[in-house]
Amino acid sequence: MGSVIELENITKVFRVLNRHAGLKGTFTDLFSRDYKNLVAVDHVSMSIEEGEMVGYLGPNGAGKSTTIKIMTGILEPTEGKLLVNGRVPYANRTLNAQNIGVVFGQRSQLWWSLPVIESFRILKEMYCIPDKVYKNNMEMFDELVGVSELYNKPVRQMSLGQRTLCDILAAFLHDPNVVFLDEPTIGLDVSMKSKIRELISVLNREKKTTVVLTTHDMGDVEALCRRIMIIDHGKLIYDNNIQQLKQFFGSYRTLKILPAGNVSFSEADLAKYGRQLLVLCPETRNVVFGSDEEWLTVLVPEDEISLIKVLEHMQTLIPFRDVRIEEITTESVIRKIYEGTSDAKPTLEAGHGE
Amino acid sequence: MENRTKKLPFRRYFSITRAGILEMAMFRSSRVLDFVGNMVYMIVVYFLWRAIYASTHTVSVNGMTFKQTLIYLTLAGAIFSTLNNYLVWKMGRDIQSGQISLFFTKPMDFFLREFFYSLGNVATQLVLTFIPTFLVVSILSGWSLPMGVNLLIFLPAIAMSLVISFSIDFMVGTVCLYSQSIWGINMMKEVIILLLSGATIPLAFFPEAFRNVLMFLPFQAIYNVPLMVLVSNTYTWIDYARALGVQAFWMVILVACARLFFRSSSRVITVNGG
Amino acid sequence: MISEQREKKEKLHRGAFYYPRIYRMIITQDIKSKMHYRADFYISTIGMLATNIAGFISFWLIFQSFPSINGWTYYEMLFLYAFSLLALTPVQLFFDNNWALRFNVYSGDFVKYCFRPLNLFFYYISETIDIKGAGQLVFGAGTLVYAWHHLGLEVSVRSMALLIVALTSASLVMIAMMNAAAATCFWVINSGTVMVFLFRFKDYAKYPMTIYNIGFQIVFSILIPIGFIAYYPSLIYLRAQDVSILTYLSPVIAVLFYYGSYKLWIRGAMKYSGTGS
Repeated sequence: MGSVIELENITKVFRVLNRHAGLKGTFTDLFSRDYKNLVAVDHVSMSIEEGEMVGYLGPNGAGKSTTIKIMTGILEPTEGKLLVNGRVPYANRTLNAQNIGVVFGQRSQLWWSLPVIESFRILKEMYCIPDKVYKNNMEMFDELVGVSELYNKPVRQMSLGQRTLCDILAAFLHDPNVVFLDEPTIGLDVSMKSKIRELISVLNREKKTTVVLTTHDMGDVEALCRRIMIIDHGKLIYDNNIQQLKQFFGSYRTLKILPAGNVSFSEADLAKYGRQLLVLCPETRNVVFGSDEEWLTVLVPEDEISLIKVLEHMQTLIPFRDVRIEEITTESVIRKIYEGTSDAKPTLEAGHGE
Repeated sequence: MENRTKKLPFRRYFSITRAGILEMAMFRSSRVLDFVGNMVYMIVVYFLWRAIYASTHTVSVNGMTFKQTLIYLTLAGAIFSTLNNYLVWKMGRDIQSGQISLFFTKPMDFFLREFFYSLGNVATQLVLTFIPTFLVVSILSGWSLPMGVNLLIFLPAIAMSLVISFSIDFMVGTVCLYSQSIWGINMMKEVIILLLSGATIPLAFFPEAFRNVLMFLPFQAIYNVPLMVLVSNTYTWIDYARALGVQAFWMVILVACARLFFRSSSRVITVNGG
Repeated sequence: MISEQREKKEKLHRGAFYYPRIYRMIITQDIKSKMHYRADFYISTIGMLATNIAGFISFWLIFQSFPSINGWTYYEMLFLYAFSLLALTPVQLFFDNNWALRFNVYSGDFVKYCFRPLNLFFYYISETIDIKGAGQLVFGAGTLVYAWHHLGLEVSVRSMALLIVALTSASLVMIAMMNAAAATCFWVINSGTVMVFLFRFKDYAKYPMTIYNIGFQIVFSILIPIGFIAYYPSLIYLRAQDVSILTYLSPVIAVLFYYGSYKLWIRGAMKYSGTGS
């Protein structure tokens, strides 16, 4: 087993023109040398082994897609070394593309007006896929998700879920060594999400394909990835297995409550709710209160107390009009990581140490 | 509510006109390019017709001198840019995307709504393209263009040109309900109007029989009539009245046709659900 | 970790017919799906023919009142017109996807073209074929034959071979112009206006360059090289004694223009795909 992807101190700096407003501004911009540097990726190093499935997380604009673009060869890094399948991607974009597969969220890469099967036939030629490999893969796909009845439907008539399914299959069609999946389950319903997760997981296992998955959905990560990398402000702030990460976001969920009538959420009020709740139920020690516009937010550590319990107790404290339950987001995981830096420092610098 | 709508029907429509003006003014560099394009067109027309007139020994051909022809064609080009507003493309796209059914939910007449929007575009183009071109032409021709009552008459004339051209565009746009080929439909419209209105070759150069037929068609009312009002030194009050009368006649007929055609076609939208 | 950095270019070995094979496949599919909208095809073709016929009528009208344009007769002008129509056909037929480029770029969809193992420009352009251009091909060819016959030009292997070379170079110039115009969308937000602006110049290609003064002859030979779309190549047939050095150079110039526009396009695409989306 060797490394399929190796990055060493990869940095990407964009030179951005400071734009000025107005007609005069447009004109000055033409001759302006007023650039600012924007560090999108900051000395990122990583090594991904063959067959691994890695969750690559981070908020929007953190540098995720820039890293992916560097790895797919459409962007040249400013600094640093990288090899994908033993080659420098940007120096060999087409050759690199031959050995990778990419799915970019809601942007289908299939031919819009063609029946899927025709798209697959074009891909067969485009990637020079041998007949036997093509036949085997198509049989396997059909076995996995039963897509053959979809084959004659043009992509534009498909539902988002069907389209994503086909896009993922298309990315695996030429037996690439690495597949990059960018937000593959975005906008899908629960059953389609689990279907797609199952498909990705099987393909990764059966074909020993390395999968790099970027997502905002912690559900994807939990279902699929054993290893997680988190990037924020261009820096890799976490690279370790999922169990370690769970210490941070564990089984937290947020209960959002819309109180009836006008309720203020001053620090004092929030502290008061905490005390009142603690009186009712001592296990709520680590429940954190906060506010989000007119909503009262209650972060519940579910391995200590169930969300339903907290909800029951809250009902006796304040009357409310509406309730929402939110899964923890990548953003809040990152926040927790920063908060936890002081007492959990070793895990952050551990790197990938399995 | 009912009462209020009746009282201020046009205020709302003028706010649409304002949106049309702002949108045009937003893409300033596009407007600059439009103007440059017209200037280049003017120069090419100049060279071409200079070469054409060089082959004859008479000063005027078919009653038009080189200078008159040049002024006529340049201003026709400027009117073309002024009236050109992509309405067919816009309607075609709204129809194909189903957006058109949204407009039916609004308490505005679709025809008027689109008209007042176009009015905004046209007003902007009139100021940014037509008037500069007109001034350049006047200066280059040594102020030989008449500068009197014709300028005043030209305003209602160009306004009616807009209504006529808009009505034709609106009808052609409505055709997009029946066919997906916006490009083809728009192309045919443009070619027919430009040729038969005298915008590419002045009507004076058409064979007489042909010209007599064209005079009975609405297209010449878009370009030929306002242009003759603007450049002719010999027009009398009767000529002006006749010119405006012809335009008014076509305006009434075409607006009625456009509205009737759209009304009978909108059944297609409601049936197909857009 | 990374012991050696292999930056040398490696080649994929896919055989000489890889690109033609892919092109044929994609285009066949595109035509098939367009055939579902047959009525549109007919309407577009009629629209195309209408434009061509209108151009024809304009010449005819001018020659009703005037004997020649700067010494160029009716049939000579028709020859130039037909030649320009034929030279404009390939850009219409095969490079129409350039018109959609800005929409793909502004919406961010363009990035999807970057992940395939083949030339980016080729892949993007191969996506559509605009079959209505075929109408122009037929009309242009018919008019050229008509003018050719009336001018009593020689029909030989040599003249036909020359015609093919001349038409190919002329087409390349137009393609280059539209490539460059389309590529502006990687840098500016209203490249639609730039494309319309440049596309309008094709209508001026059908006039002899001698009608312009020296300044515009230079502009139309270098900056906006429409002189190469009909005039310079046609000189071989129409004014053998006046053949300009530019006529002989036109294949070379055409290739240079085309290559330059291709490089610009690719450079824009690579710049965009890093920052965009």
